[in-house]
Amino acid sequence: MTPKMLLLPILLPAALAVLFLVIPRGVKLLREALALAGSAVLLYYGFVLFSLKSLELRLPWLGMGIDFELRLYHFSSFILLALAGFLLLITLFSTVKMKDAARVREYYAYIFLAAAFANGAVLADNFVPLIFFWEGLLISLYGLITIGGRPTSNRTAVKALLINGFCDFSLIMGIGILWAQTGTLTMSEVSVEPTGLAAAAFIMMMIGALGKAGAMPFHTWIPDAAVDAPVGFMAFLPAAFEKLLGIYLLARITLDFFALKPHSTLSIVLMTIGAVTIVLAVLMAFIQKDFKRLLSFHAVSQVGYMVLGIGTAVPFGIAGGLFHMINNAIYKSGLFLTAGSVEHRAGTTELSKLGGLRKEMPLTAFGFTVCALAISGLWPLNGFVSKEMVFHGALETGYTVFAIAAWLGAIFTFASFLKTGHSVFFGERSQAIPEVKESPAPVVLPILVLAGLCITFGVYNKLPLNLFIQPILEGHVEAGAHLDFTSHALDLFNPIALISLGCLALAFLLHTYGFLKSGRKPYLASEPVHNLPGVHKLYDLAEARVFDFYEQGVKFLHGLSTVLYKTVDRPIDFVYEKIVTVAGERFTGILKKAHNGHYANYLAWCLAGLVVVAGAIGLLLK
Amino acid sequence: MSVENIVLLTIFVPIIGSFAIPLASLLSRSSRSVWAILVSSVTAVLPLTLIPFALQGGEQVVRLNLALGLDFVLVIDALAIFMAGVSSFVGCLIVVYSVGYIHNEEHQSEYYLMVLLFIGSMMGLVFSGNLIFIYLFWEIIAISCWRLIGFYRKPDFVIKADKAFLVTFFGAVVMLLGFIQIYGLTNTFDITAMRGTLIPGSAVLLILFGMFSKSATIPLHTWLPDAGVAPTTVTALLHAAVLVKIGVYAFARLFLYTFRVPDDWQTIIPILVVVSSLVSAGAAAVENDIKRILAYSTVSQIGYIFLGFSMANPAGVSGSLLFILMHGLAKAGLFLCAGIVIHATHEKDIRQTGGLIKTMPVTAVAFLVCAFSVIGLPPFGGFFSKFLVIMGTVQAGEIWLAGAALFIAVLTMYYLMKVFSLVFLGEAKHPAPEGTKSMVYVVAALAVLSLAAGLFAAYPMKLVNIATAQMSWWLR
Repeated sequence: MTPKMLLLPILLPAALAVLFLVIPRGVKLLREALALAGSAVLLYYGFVLFSLKSLELRLPWLGMGIDFELRLYHFSSFILLALAGFLLLITLFSTVKMKDAARVREYYAYIFLAAAFANGAVLADNFVPLIFFWEGLLISLYGLITIGGRPTSNRTAVKALLINGFCDFSLIMGIGILWAQTGTLTMSEVSVEPTGLAAAAFIMMMIGALGKAGAMPFHTWIPDAAVDAPVGFMAFLPAAFEKLLGIYLLARITLDFFALKPHSTLSIVLMTIGAVTIVLAVLMAFIQKDFKRLLSFHAVSQVGYMVLGIGTAVPFGIAGGLFHMINNAIYKSGLFLTAGSVEHRAGTTELSKLGGLRKEMPLTAFGFTVCALAISGLWPLNGFVSKEMVFHGALETGYTVFAIAAWLGAIFTFASFLKTGHSVFFGERSQAIPEVKESPAPVVLPILVLAGLCITFGVYNKLPLNLFIQPILEGHVEAGAHLDFTSHALDLFNPIALISLGCLALAFLLHTYGFLKSGRKPYLASEPVHNLPGVHKLYDLAEARVFDFYEQGVKFLHGLSTVLYKTVDRPIDFVYEKIVTVAGERFTGILKKAHNGHYANYLAWCLAGLVVVAGAIGLLLK
Repeated sequence: MSVENIVLLTIFVPIIGSFAIPLASLLSRSSRSVWAILVSSVTAVLPLTLIPFALQGGEQVVRLNLALGLDFVLVIDALAIFMAGVSSFVGCLIVVYSVGYIHNEEHQSEYYLMVLLFIGSMMGLVFSGNLIFIYLFWEIIAISCWRLIGFYRKPDFVIKADKAFLVTFFGAVVMLLGFIQIYGLTNTFDITAMRGTLIPGSAVLLILFGMFSKSATIPLHTWLPDAGVAPTTVTALLHAAVLVKIGVYAFARLFLYTFRVPDDWQTIIPILVVVSSLVSAGAAAVENDIKRILAYSTVSQIGYIFLGFSMANPAGVSGSLLFILMHGLAKAGLFLCAGIVIHATHEKDIRQTGGLIKTMPVTAVAFLVCAFSVIGLPPFGGFFSKFLVIMGTVQAGEIWLAGAALFIAVLTMYYLMKVFSLVFLGEAKHPAPEGTKSMVYVVAALAVLSLAAGLFAAYPMKLVNIATAQMSWWLR
């Protein structure tokens, strides 16, 4: 096993991406076979590299300390493995869902390009390769959203590009400050106290990580993309890849580059961002009436738990945040795929048109149920374990308010999934859509695999916790401290777990009340909350994108540009166009009068000019 | 062939070749085109043969003594070779593109003569080691630009050409006064004899007039968007690749390689150029004429190059040198894509176009790739240059300027994506096919080069690092 092997997870998908662009559109079988084989190979290598644990590659690159450094260790190998797993499942799903899509060649190319860049970003051990791969993902992001092909797709794609671009530029700034402070770009050598300028670097890099993960306020493109982009993209980038990468970097920032201390201001900042993201996004999700859009707000809300967990800066919370990262990627990807499966057969994802599909699509319904219960944090699924860990961590810091926010999130999460499940799979069979069949195996299989993982990671939670999560925290807890997060992972009989279950019971009551109150229409079950006095107005403003900092930001950019153009650029041009020319004409007018044809006059002019020129030169030569 | 002879050929092949254009046109139109392409490709290849010499860290000064201290001095180092290679290469691509673009126009002999003279004078300027010769080539370029901008001969176009000429000429003359002031201090125009000399602030100011007017920096910039009345090939050559790089090249050659600039100017210049960059990015976001947008975008990007150089640290200087290459490729690509669009639809207003990706797929993709490179997205070349400039700015402690530069990058992304969306996406208003093959090949080549320059950034970076090391006497 040579270190050069580390290039394979980057070069193989990149080469495949180029190949997919070349293969003619009609040659479906070859393309699909290559995509599946390629991702299978990557998954195999994921296991091989995971078992290796430690490998370093260093190639000279641009000089000045900018080397192409890759480093495999337990954290990066874990993320690498997870990425490869999701790639295989999404590819499998896409073979059916994207079969007849207009830009299928580009679709596969972008998917594999994203895989190449994501693998590179995870393996990078130098900030320049990191930002190179990290920012390169924007190309895939932009391309994949435009493939949605709706009239607003391009607008959303540009929005995603600008928001993520802003966050990535912020990350660049953070890296720059860190480089200036530490004098090195090698990631594994950087460790500073987040004070003074380094605190600014921390915030800047944090924005980069949070932007990728889609935390508030950098989330607003995700709900738009849910409608405008292919559903495979949603399950792939926003649900899985970007969460893994964003949280990976956030964990590296808080654990490695800066040693974040519990109770520090920065820790509270992070926890606040997490808590606000949980609550606001879930409240938005709760009232959505489109399956995909509803899921996309949950994709944002769940990031809050991870950020909150990592922000606690206590080992238990961090472990919870990281475990939640992988759990969320599993069930959220699964949920988007169920939405894709329903869309594939029913042709719509609007909740009001769907209903009672469980008989016709039993496997999809089963997968949905498991994933939905997992995201809601029901015992004994994986979401329960990681959420409990986050609750414990939040309480350990002593700031109860953050735990309360997390519980509030849990109530509305469960309520909105009760609403969704009730509207789509359970309840009465809708008359709006014709009879449907279960989706074909390549669509259902990934859903079932992900649902299976939800159960496995919940019931046998010791397995992922010991195998994946615990090694990450080794060396980051106080020496001699007990490093075991599995002791009360599935323990139902402690006050925290009982409060969580109480929240779920509340959610059930909330849903039942809403269902009965709104004329037994499940998709309207959120209306009683939606219509609360005052709340409705806020919801309307939010839906009108008033709180969307992108919309306000674009207005600001346009306004600033107009001001600069009108107050600086045009006045300068006015000087050239009007003042200089008029002054020139006046001046030559005076000179004209001096031209009276007398020889002596001209001689005098020449002499005077000579004196002036000589004087000027003499002055300069002094 | 010796290094010295190669450099002399690089300068004189295009200059003499340009005067042979009218002769070639006597034979036939096609022989004129062939001759133009031949001369420009020879000019493009010659500097490339010097790269091994540069990579070994070679530096050579050639001196031919003439009267009055006006020695003909050639400085052959990595900086000059890099700059000559970039400009002549892009120049050659533009000549190839011209064959398709202007083949229906009148005055083609003058056109090719001026373009080749332009390229030749550029080579002369790049290798010159004497202030007077720098000025001389500087003005020859101004004259050929003047003719080229007014190529279409319409009265208001000619006025714009006059404006460009007068502004740059004014700047150059003021710069000449600065040169004379320096002569008063050192009694020489030979820059190799003056390395490390501290020059007074007044001389810096006078010379900056020249640089800022040629490199279209606020407040001497508005001639550049107005010069968009020229044929697109010329705007690509002027705005993007070569002409506007003269000022930044002179900055590197004079203010970094040769002189020591007083400290207060070292704080003022970065602020000036960032303001220039911001204002012009704002103007680009407001304008609706595609060529004016791209021209303002050039003004904005030039600000980054000045910024990196004025930081005078390895990351900044290397970044700016790399920027010259990356911006030259990408911006020339953007202009030539715009040229294809204008040629086919006769429409410059981005609000009147749309949906062209269906009929012009290659142009659209090339435009997007070049736009990504200008914005600074990896894996395209523009990423590395912008990244390094910003790193250099941060390292010099100018955190706020670096922040402003990143903000400008966001603004760049905003307006370039706006242009792409309005021109190539949405509803088709003037469906038109792509132009002749030579035009499409050239934009495709520029897009591929922008990508390749990013993927293989380590290769130009080697040369750039050597150039930086040779220039930076103050770091030794």
